[in-house]
Amino acid sequence: MRLFSKFAFFLLLSLAALSTRSLRAQGNYEIQVYGADTEASKSTMVELHSNFTSDGQKQVIDRVYPTNHQQHETLEITQGINSWSEVGFYVFTSLQDGHGWQWVGDHIRPRVRVPDSWHWPVGVSLSSEIGYQRAVYSPDTWTWEIRPIVDKAVGRWYFAVNPALERTLHGPDVKQGIGFAPGVKVGYDFNKVVSGGVEYYADYGSITAIAPLHDQQQQIFLVTDLNVSPKWEINMGVGIGPTAATDHWIIKGILGRHFSWVKQSVTD
Amino acid sequence: MLTRRSLLKLGSMAAASAALPKPAHSVGPADYTLYIAPFTLDIAPKHAIKTVAYNQQVPGPLLRFKEGQPVTVDVANRTENEEIVHWHGLFLPPDVDGAMEEGTPMIPAGGKAGYTFTPSPAGFRWYHTHTFAGTDLKKAQYTGQHGFLMIDPRENPARYDQEFFLALHDWDGEMTGSADGSMNPAYKFATINGRVLGFGEPLRVKQGQHVLLHILNSSPTEQHWLALAGHQFKVIALDGNPVPNPKAVSMLRLAPAERVCAIVEMNHPGVWILGEVRKHIQAAGMGIVVEYAASTGKPAWQQPDGLSWDYGQFGSTTPSASLSGNIIDIPLVFESRFAGHGAPDHWMINGKSYPNTETIPLTRGQRYRLIFKNPTSDDHPVHLHRHSFEIRKLPKNPDSRGIIKDVVLVESKTEVEVEFTADNPGLTLFHCHQQNHMDEGFMMLFRYA
Repeated sequence: MRLFSKFAFFLLLSLAALSTRSLRAQGNYEIQVYGADTEASKSTMVELHSNFTSDGQKQVIDRVYPTNHQQHETLEITQGINSWSEVGFYVFTSLQDGHGWQWVGDHIRPRVRVPDSWHWPVGVSLSSEIGYQRAVYSPDTWTWEIRPIVDKAVGRWYFAVNPALERTLHGPDVKQGIGFAPGVKVGYDFNKVVSGGVEYYADYGSITAIAPLHDQQQQIFLVTDLNVSPKWEINMGVGIGPTAATDHWIIKGILGRHFSWVKQSVTD
Repeated sequence: MLTRRSLLKLGSMAAASAALPKPAHSVGPADYTLYIAPFTLDIAPKHAIKTVAYNQQVPGPLLRFKEGQPVTVDVANRTENEEIVHWHGLFLPPDVDGAMEEGTPMIPAGGKAGYTFTPSPAGFRWYHTHTFAGTDLKKAQYTGQHGFLMIDPRENPARYDQEFFLALHDWDGEMTGSADGSMNPAYKFATINGRVLGFGEPLRVKQGQHVLLHILNSSPTEQHWLALAGHQFKVIALDGNPVPNPKAVSMLRLAPAERVCAIVEMNHPGVWILGEVRKHIQAAGMGIVVEYAASTGKPAWQQPDGLSWDYGQFGSTTPSASLSGNIIDIPLVFESRFAGHGAPDHWMINGKSYPNTETIPLTRGQRYRLIFKNPTSDDHPVHLHRHSFEIRKLPKNPDSRGIIKDVVLVESKTEVEVEFTADNPGLTLFHCHQQNHMDEGFMMLFRYA
């Protein structure tokens, strides 16, 4: 019950703190629908997110660099705290003709999950991500995201929903409300190694005043996950953005590896 | 497709439609009565498990039968599900062996049955439920439906001062994703005789005693490794059958359904832990205190560095005597079929899952060699009903002899060979004793021609 109270407190505190937010500039630094699992204690996950915008915004808007042909390389390091929590840290970078390889910003993301011992029928976790990005890459420089995560594997099918809520802490959108940016994934195991699926990402703008479709960001990715080893995570995909406010074509890849800091013996 | 679950339903319908139990079931007064009923088991001071048990205890009552002396056990099923009791390790007719697949009637919910049989062979056996659980880890062998069964020989040559019966079990399981990519049970608690370490009564011994331990692994799915700090086990029997070469070892490995009988010479006074060698399982509760008379203090544990076990060390050391007559080989290849990261694997023998597995004919009196080939990433404790077999080939021992068992663990990526003589006519079930594997098709039948 103590753990449940902490979980509820974390959720309520986060929701209460979110107050204002509007549609923000498109990030595309970390394109991933989270699963509910957290990193095991005494182990670290190192991931590289590589995203290339092959057809994106070609103009400088509000002094923000165009996204077209930007290559985003994001290093994500996640440390497991215990059996139900972790902390992630991001380093966002961007490569682009004329600008070179630039540091974009950093985020930190603590996350808690419902422990297995609660025997919930679905996996549930909650992350809180806060961080800074340079104004030439995002006019909103400080942002905060609360991301509930629900997932479930049923036979060969996998479902995950991330109905994320976002708020700008510093930038032009600071007074424009809480934003709603859901992510959804449906996957199918073709065999033990290869899974395929669809990932959907959106930013509908303020939760109290949903933006017109024209201004919404929506992306649909066809992805594959390669389950080559419990130590490795491999995800690749290509996405299309059908609305005017969305980059039109993006290619993404995630390569991750778990490192355990405990020497496991057969008697452990 | 006909599944094991649907077959169980058909079996229960057949049982319910039968006016009377089959002739092997006695109508006379019972020697023993078991009743199956919901039970709350206090495994720890602040934790209880709601389960199903025999006679409101876990393990169920110790049943002691005389070899060759007919016995009747009445069983009342006071649950909402059909049940059946399997008399594991006995040479029984199929209609009382306790496997629906062989023809033993299921006991309807709220119903009764009487099992009359002549116990044989002598040795440490056990009884347990033999039903389907699927993904419901509160059913079948995941419950407390297991008990010790001792078939005393007409003359008992064993020399010991005191004996204890110990059952290893895992509780509160949940299907979780595992490293092999499919779903497998993971457990929160592990107990000996239904109690976590430190909660149950200690085994009270005296210096100089020879204590005989009868240890059963009644876990639905897990292997267990046991050590007794400061002592050694002299293994005298496996699955209740005396071994040709009794030998002292520092630890025991028991796969699901296996039994070990071992003598411990109490020569190291103190208060000790008899427990699981792997730390996380001992931490989940699998252990029991061994307390010498006049000794006090905190129970001591000496952590072994590794895991060690080899059936072959208990085999005969004399040259092999060639058996007369030919032996017929029956290769059995174990395979899995991936069913998704959100489902357990399906299991197959020679490419087919039960009930579509081939029913292999046997000829009475013929000796057979079962060649188990396990290319999968899981170990399999396979069990042959109503017969015993001799282990003849192990990964580290190509000429094993004299070890008689009814369960053998075929480790991942290995081959094991056993021989048996077809001397007990009737349908004979063969299966992996891991509940999740048998539920997912790892079963087949032999029939006598």
